[in-house]
Amino acid sequence: MSEQVIKKELWDAIPKESKDKEILSRPSMTYWQDAWRRLKKNTLSMIGLAFIIFMVLTAIIGPYVIEHDYSTQQLTLANIPPRIDIYKVDDATYFYMHSEYKLFQVTADGELLDKIKETQNNMAERNRIYNIGGKEVVLDYKYGAMKAEDNPEGIKYKLLIDGEEAKVADRVQNKSYLFGTDALGRDMLSRVIYGARISLLIAFIATVVNFFIGVLYGGISGYFGGQVDNIMMRIVDIINVIPLLLYVILLSVIIGSGLKSIIIALGSVYWVGMARIVRGQVLSLKEQEYVLSARTLGASSMRIMIRHLIPNAMGPIIVSMTMMIPSAIFTEAFLSFIGLGVNAPLASWGTLANDALGGLRSYPYQLFYPSLAISLTMLAFNFLGDGLRDALDPRLRK
Amino acid sequence: MVVTLLVIITITFVMMHAIPGGPFTREKQLPDAVLAALNAKYHLDDPLWKQYVDYVKGVLSFNLGPSFQRAGVTVNQLIKEGFPATLKIGLTSVLVIIVVGIPLGIVSALKQNKWQDGLVMFIATLGVTIPSFVMATGIIYIFSAKFNVLPSNGLTSWKHMIGPVIALSGFSLSFVARLTRSSMLEVLQQDYIRTARAKGLSNNKVIYKHALKNALIPVVTYLGPMIATLLTGSFVIEKVFAIPGMGKHFVESVGNRDYTVLMGITIFYALFLIVMVLLVDILYSFIDPRIKMED
Amino acid sequence: MTDKLLVVKDLKTSFFTHVGEVQAVRGVSFDLSVGEALGIVGESGSGKSVTSMSLMKLLQYPGKIKEGQVLFEGIDLVGKTEREMRKVRGNDIAMIFQDPMTSLNPVYTIGNQIIEAILEHQNVTKQQARQKAIKMLELVGIPSPESRLDNYPHEFSGGMRQRAMIAIALSCEPKLLIADEPTTALDVTIQAQILELMKDLKEKINTSIILITHDLGVVADLCSRIIVMYGGLIMEEGTANQIFYEPKHPYTIGLLKSIPKLHKKDKERLIPIDGTPPDLVLPPTGCPFYARCDFAMKICQEQQPPYFSAGPGHRSMCWRMHEDAPANERFSKVFNKGESHV
Repeated sequence: MSEQVIKKELWDAIPKESKDKEILSRPSMTYWQDAWRRLKKNTLSMIGLAFIIFMVLTAIIGPYVIEHDYSTQQLTLANIPPRIDIYKVDDATYFYMHSEYKLFQVTADGELLDKIKETQNNMAERNRIYNIGGKEVVLDYKYGAMKAEDNPEGIKYKLLIDGEEAKVADRVQNKSYLFGTDALGRDMLSRVIYGARISLLIAFIATVVNFFIGVLYGGISGYFGGQVDNIMMRIVDIINVIPLLLYVILLSVIIGSGLKSIIIALGSVYWVGMARIVRGQVLSLKEQEYVLSARTLGASSMRIMIRHLIPNAMGPIIVSMTMMIPSAIFTEAFLSFIGLGVNAPLASWGTLANDALGGLRSYPYQLFYPSLAISLTMLAFNFLGDGLRDALDPRLRK
Repeated sequence: MVVTLLVIITITFVMMHAIPGGPFTREKQLPDAVLAALNAKYHLDDPLWKQYVDYVKGVLSFNLGPSFQRAGVTVNQLIKEGFPATLKIGLTSVLVIIVVGIPLGIVSALKQNKWQDGLVMFIATLGVTIPSFVMATGIIYIFSAKFNVLPSNGLTSWKHMIGPVIALSGFSLSFVARLTRSSMLEVLQQDYIRTARAKGLSNNKVIYKHALKNALIPVVTYLGPMIATLLTGSFVIEKVFAIPGMGKHFVESVGNRDYTVLMGITIFYALFLIVMVLLVDILYSFIDPRIKMED
Repeated sequence: MTDKLLVVKDLKTSFFTHVGEVQAVRGVSFDLSVGEALGIVGESGSGKSVTSMSLMKLLQYPGKIKEGQVLFEGIDLVGKTEREMRKVRGNDIAMIFQDPMTSLNPVYTIGNQIIEAILEHQNVTKQQARQKAIKMLELVGIPSPESRLDNYPHEFSGGMRQRAMIAIALSCEPKLLIADEPTTALDVTIQAQILELMKDLKEKINTSIILITHDLGVVADLCSRIIVMYGGLIMEEGTANQIFYEPKHPYTIGLLKSIPKLHKKDKERLIPIDGTPPDLVLPPTGCPFYARCDFAMKICQEQQPPYFSAGPGHRSMCWRMHEDAPANERFSKVFNKGESHV
């Protein structure tokens, strides 16, 4: 037992009310405010959201801003990559040699001027002669056909400017066509931007159509319950035996290809997933309502409860819609790959990718940009969807 | 199960016959006499209900009819021709997914938030978002065109399998890894793991005996949908890698509107899936004793 | 000095989380003799469960034993390695938990889970282990044990499951059984059965028991001694009689007041204790119960009281027990008159 002397005042009693009781103060937020706050904290989701906004803006405004049009063909300028090797003739004159052995005049910083017509084309000796900037340029391509022992370095061609062997002066960014051109000489950049329009449009509209059908189907099933619900869900189960993608393919075969057809095909199939979720939410909502009526709350309280319940129910539906969009982009690209995509001259990312397949070895950039666009967009939606799922989960409310 | 199959046959039949103009409509119209002869040959002028009954009878006796676009070839033949290749790649993919995906998920869970977890999850996230055809074309470009270590078409050696299997299994493998990881993490929080530790069991026993079996339950549930994913994935993979499998035949029939082939392969796929899902259900009941097998 | 089975000296356990160090146990000392049943009572957050987990060193990251000693049969467990502890767990010290449904692995049979424990610690054949398991099920009162051995947890009822858990825990004849809220998840009638069973087994096997609960009524029958915990510290310790009939701490009194009594003739309101538990990241410097105490004084806020003796084996951490503490009408009535609370 301690021997310390305890001061007299310390024995004064303290009334309970004056003591600091823990005040649990937390600014009360609505469900949506809290969800948005949580979403903001998720860096990946915010990056995804930013990217999506960027992509949508690009899709809307892009075609008006870009100098080239997505469908103008210029066969002479076909298959030019985004980064080109240029040769110097003199300070004012440069040229670029295409992999198909065509020469183009360019500026020092990569702007394409025009195709240079050869003065002589000696097919037998396998060379071509040009007059560029006053000098004689010879393109000698007999090396490609030589045997290995005669061609130890394995080169395919030689360029001679006024008799001297020319070396690549620089590799510059193609300023006329930032993403290069495709097989028909169309600007890849504007095609990718235009493709954004088409792919995103298809994805959004299809998702909205699926949403409405799904809400209707699932809502009716859940609301009526009982036999109606049983039968409706059995139908969904049977439909689900075959992968939904197969239905889309078959439908596309029937309806034909084209923008409207794809949207119809996509919108007619994926609603089953949404229907299930909506039904589940309606069922749980019903349960809450019964509890409410059992407690015989006044009508106004009921309205307040529904203001809390319905936002809760919307959560999974919103997440589902967010995840449907990348799914639709994927499906559309998939269809294009099988040849069921939109028709030319319209271009979606999927058709761009499909078109690029043939020239994959020589012109990989034609596949790269649309694939990158698809992948990044799907990644962005996935991040956003993941974040939304966490943010809208009422159990994680802090 | 039979009901399901019947419904699917009906759906496919209705869809195929909903196509305006019939299977022999082309841009260049065939002369009427030829058209009539073809229609008669393939019984397309019979009343619809009769065609339906005939078709169902045919399916039930495993006769899926002739190909309309390739004279003399039956759908059965095409399936027999293409199935082995598709199966080879499909089975290998399933094996890879299980043998690689599940352990990756386990490692990730055990090393939660450490660098191994971060690395695996990063790759897995890419795997679920990058579409299979992007992966396929990417593999062809990098490994075939640029570095020339892998062949890019056909299926004549084991080397030919690498590209297609990776591209086909990419998505599902990543999904399984993520699923295993989250399932494992959840299981490790459970009370019965605490009990197991309180009994003095070694860490290995706790993880590999007590936790793992429970963690695999949701993964087994995913196997059914996974097979469906692999199946549809095979269309694009077989086209891009030029593999002579069923998927390629299917894609070709889409291209030349060969309706019997489309229908036939669809029904074959449906049957295959029904059987697979049944097998998975049986497997599931072995793992989780709380589930009783009905029917 | 009598040989104590378990001596806990100044145990301090904290959870080192990203919000700070949560001091769950702040200096707990007690001991336990062979064959004795001790009850640890307190509300959620009082530190009772963390204390028991610390005894077996079952704490998961980020929890750690900061200081103190846990002397089991004279040897300090705190210093033992994980490997050494595994030999102790399930063998010398066993533990059963609150919810038997979630505490049993659903994918293995009960038999499998009992036999596993036996085979882990004892050098017997599988056959012998199986026989032992059957005997254990019999011991805890499960009918047709032979066939029940091959049942899965979900095929048992709630009470049976808890019995099965006890069977698993006792299968290696541990010297100490720690029961963490074993009856909280069960129906009242089943509760009584399980407590009877534990009492019975204590006599038969002479196992010491630590029973942890928030319900004072549960410890009344089974435990000879009771510890009352709050805010990570022991508020009062004494025999069952002392705690129930001569409580010497405001918190204990509050707990007793909140138990409904059947025998009272006049209707009496249940008096809950106002307020909420203290924040353990910034624990109060004074008495942890200060903020909710009806009898608080200035000194209670400033200094943590020492333990004052209230009789043989009876101590209380309360400044009101100091000889200089002023008398108070209400105090005398409650403290000294020894009103009957049972």
